[in-house]
Amino acid sequence: MEADFTSQIREKARELLEKGTVECVIGYETGSDGVSARPSFIYNPSEVERLVFDNTCSHNLVKYLLDKKGKPTAIVVKGCDSRALNLLLSEKQLQRDQIFIIGVVCPGVVEWGWNRRSEQFQKRCDLCRQHTPLVYDLLIGTPVTEEPPPEFTDIAEMSARATEERASFWREQAERCLRCYACRQACPGCYCIDCFVEQLDPEWVGIRIATGENLMWNTIRAFHLAGRCIACNECERVCPVNLPLSLLNRKLEEEMLELFDYRAGMSEDATAPLITFIKEEKLGIGE
Amino acid sequence: MSRIGVFICHCGTNIGGVVNVPEVVEAARHMPLVAFADENKYTCSEVGQSSIRNAIAEHKLDRVVIASCSPRMHENTFRRTVTAAGINPYLLEMANLREHCSWVHSDARDATSKAIDLVRMAVSKVARHEALFPKQIGLTKRALVIGGGVTGIQAALDIAASGHEVVLVEKEPSIGGRMAQLDKTFPTLDCSACILTPKMVDVAQHPKITLLSYSEIVDVRGFVGNFEVDILRKAKLVDYEKCTGCGLCWQACPEKIPSEFNLGLGHRTAIYIPFAQAVPNKPVIDIANCRYENYRRWKETEEGEEPPQCRICEGVCPTEAIDRTQQDEIITEKFGAIVVTTGFKTFDYSVYGEYGGGRYPNVITSLQLERLMSAAGPTEGEVLRPSDGTHPKSVVFIQCVGSRDDKVNRPYCSKVCCMYTAKHAIMLKEHDPEVQCYVFYIDIRAGGKDFEEFARRAQDETGALYLRGRVSQIYQQGDKLMVLGEDSLMGRPVEITADLVVLATGMEPSENAAEIAQTLNISYNTYNFLIEAHPKLRPVETQTDGIFVAGAAVGPRDIPECVAHGSAAAVKAVALLSQDSLTTDPLISVVDPMKCVGCFACKEVCPFNAIEEQVTRDGRTISSINESVCKGCGLCVVACRPGAINLRGFTNQQLLSEVLTLVGR
Repeated sequence: MEADFTSQIREKARELLEKGTVECVIGYETGSDGVSARPSFIYNPSEVERLVFDNTCSHNLVKYLLDKKGKPTAIVVKGCDSRALNLLLSEKQLQRDQIFIIGVVCPGVVEWGWNRRSEQFQKRCDLCRQHTPLVYDLLIGTPVTEEPPPEFTDIAEMSARATEERASFWREQAERCLRCYACRQACPGCYCIDCFVEQLDPEWVGIRIATGENLMWNTIRAFHLAGRCIACNECERVCPVNLPLSLLNRKLEEEMLELFDYRAGMSEDATAPLITFIKEEKLGIGE
Repeated sequence: MSRIGVFICHCGTNIGGVVNVPEVVEAARHMPLVAFADENKYTCSEVGQSSIRNAIAEHKLDRVVIASCSPRMHENTFRRTVTAAGINPYLLEMANLREHCSWVHSDARDATSKAIDLVRMAVSKVARHEALFPKQIGLTKRALVIGGGVTGIQAALDIAASGHEVVLVEKEPSIGGRMAQLDKTFPTLDCSACILTPKMVDVAQHPKITLLSYSEIVDVRGFVGNFEVDILRKAKLVDYEKCTGCGLCWQACPEKIPSEFNLGLGHRTAIYIPFAQAVPNKPVIDIANCRYENYRRWKETEEGEEPPQCRICEGVCPTEAIDRTQQDEIITEKFGAIVVTTGFKTFDYSVYGEYGGGRYPNVITSLQLERLMSAAGPTEGEVLRPSDGTHPKSVVFIQCVGSRDDKVNRPYCSKVCCMYTAKHAIMLKEHDPEVQCYVFYIDIRAGGKDFEEFARRAQDETGALYLRGRVSQIYQQGDKLMVLGEDSLMGRPVEITADLVVLATGMEPSENAAEIAQTLNISYNTYNFLIEAHPKLRPVETQTDGIFVAGAAVGPRDIPECVAHGSAAAVKAVALLSQDSLTTDPLISVVDPMKCVGCFACKEVCPFNAIEEQVTRDGRTISSINESVCKGCGLCVVACRPGAINLRGFTNQQLLSEVLTLVGR
């Protein structure tokens, strides 16, 4: 199947580049370890043989489209990645007519590292409810029936703990944070030119790398993604100290589902609940 | 380096009675950048204000903190004070030591310590204030009045009298509204049409008023002084330039349709004027019911049986005014002010099953009774039973139908029903001395000039029997109606045999009131009554500058109130239009183009449509604030993730500086 997907991607990429429909194809190629995939940018039809698709194609490539604004670009997206496309389209960061979307029905990606590939699916793939891309110009693979929205057993477990226990859990996590901002760099929802954490006037978060400041950073980032996180879990994957960031994001995802029956990135013209006022919506406040 | 002056007010004993003011002054003297601190008995008094002006000159102050009452009270006063002393009015900050401190705390020590904190925060904020300058914008000196009832008529006439142009938009073929349907008015019993029609004619003849009948508001853009309004002009199929209003067409038209104006009690034709004194006194063709229009619709498909053709109106019209080519048309006009007078309709009583829910022909509404009493009505002023055309001898009135009733979600009092029912009882007795009236009521509400006397007259002089209680059921027995109710004062059930039952249906806003409010971006309550900016002090203004409300669209009101509010709204509109330019408040949002990423979350949350798209020189689409529209509510500031939007006078930097001062950093 992988070989078949790869050849279909290569074929389409060659056609698009030869016709000049797009300037660049963003996809995956095999890394220098010969085992795992890495992002690839193909500008020349002669280079399309570099493109691959296999079960190490983790990266959410949609983020790279932000650097291609105004230039016709093709991109390989998995189901989860397609939600990022919708998010960025609805937030007016991308123009649909500038993008050719090669959607891949994703069977799931595995845990991998440098020069190693396990057979175990990544955690997000176990929870995945979006194997088939929501938006595409060419679909590779056969659409599968998606299961209903995820259950939040891990979140329920966390929420069941005492407040103090949770606080100390997060303090411990924050202590380990390096503030390298890899999470932000990988996140398709983080595209501010001037991130709040780097602003000095006002200084929203102190630049000191310490527990309090780190907690502040991770909390505000989570809030900025409330109702926007599309659950690609790239932040957690790229974190060099393995902070369990998905616990924060999935908690907010659960709240959005419960309060507004809303999942981010499911359609291009969705308006996020947190910036919408609907008179009929009552959240039980003051009742 | 700033030189900040701090002025602490005792407010008599309001603040000084709880807070140790000298201690706060002493603390203020040691705060960073504070060059001078002093106290006043009443800072807002002329003595207090001049002491501020003197201190500014003497100590070369360039920023001022006044610690006194709520800025809602006196911020403008003190802005003028510092301006007089040569300081930009926005280099002033107020600390609220009264409402936020002395009035809510009793412990002097704690209150004093909190007062010091409040002053410290204000000092740190004012240090970061910037000089701000209002802008001047132009305006269109024309007014739009929406709704041609008596309120709208009054507003239009008053605005026009001041010399400004007015466009009056009315959705029906004629102006006049509900008042035109009434026979007599309480408590003077003068004829409604006789006092209204001269005003209607004035509207038609006033050179400054353009009357757009049979028209509706579709869209409103822009802001105070500069509104752009799309108005739908429905096709009348009659050329008003040619039509003389001679009436031959509507006398000749063979189609008979239940008359809306007579509330279904009579008929009108397909080409019609709603009533004899209509303004404009020119007909429209009811396209849905016109025989020839029906034929034209059939002709398009030729499906089914061929309907009859007609065109009689065209045949009789001496001026060839019938124009079948007319189409609905949308025109766009510019206005500086808008007055909304969309009025009311009566409650639909069909939800009351116990009153027959519309099944009994001899159960009618009060407004229908008005039409029966009117000399211009379907029975030419004879009160006759709809079922058989006989004179009723026993008439039951039921009060509060769709008023003061939680069951039908109308808990409010419609205010006019007690009075018009008293009027009906008096009038019926005058029409026919043999009539006996019964009135089931909850309370008699007769507050108003000469109202109580009038209500007493109905009871004492006409012999109307007032029964305090609700009616539980009405049922038909032969050609009579049996009314079962309760006399709660006597504590016993009553049963009355009636020839006619009249329901005092309450007032509710017009059908499309909410829709119009949404188009105009003004608020309305759960019943769709429009909401004024302040129920007492700004009764005809709205939260949207330049849009005014009046009449029964705002709440249940009688004719004198509607007329007064129409005039009040007119004065507000005229005050606006009389200015040569408008001054905008500089306390509004501003976008940092270098930080904006163009996600337009701000645009989604802005309640005033103040966010516009702008393309930068490097090709990025970012948001920009329309300074004339922004009200400075700050929602966009909160929605902006990169912190690209700031609210002048309440910038992130200024507010954070207050917070950091409070937590001691």
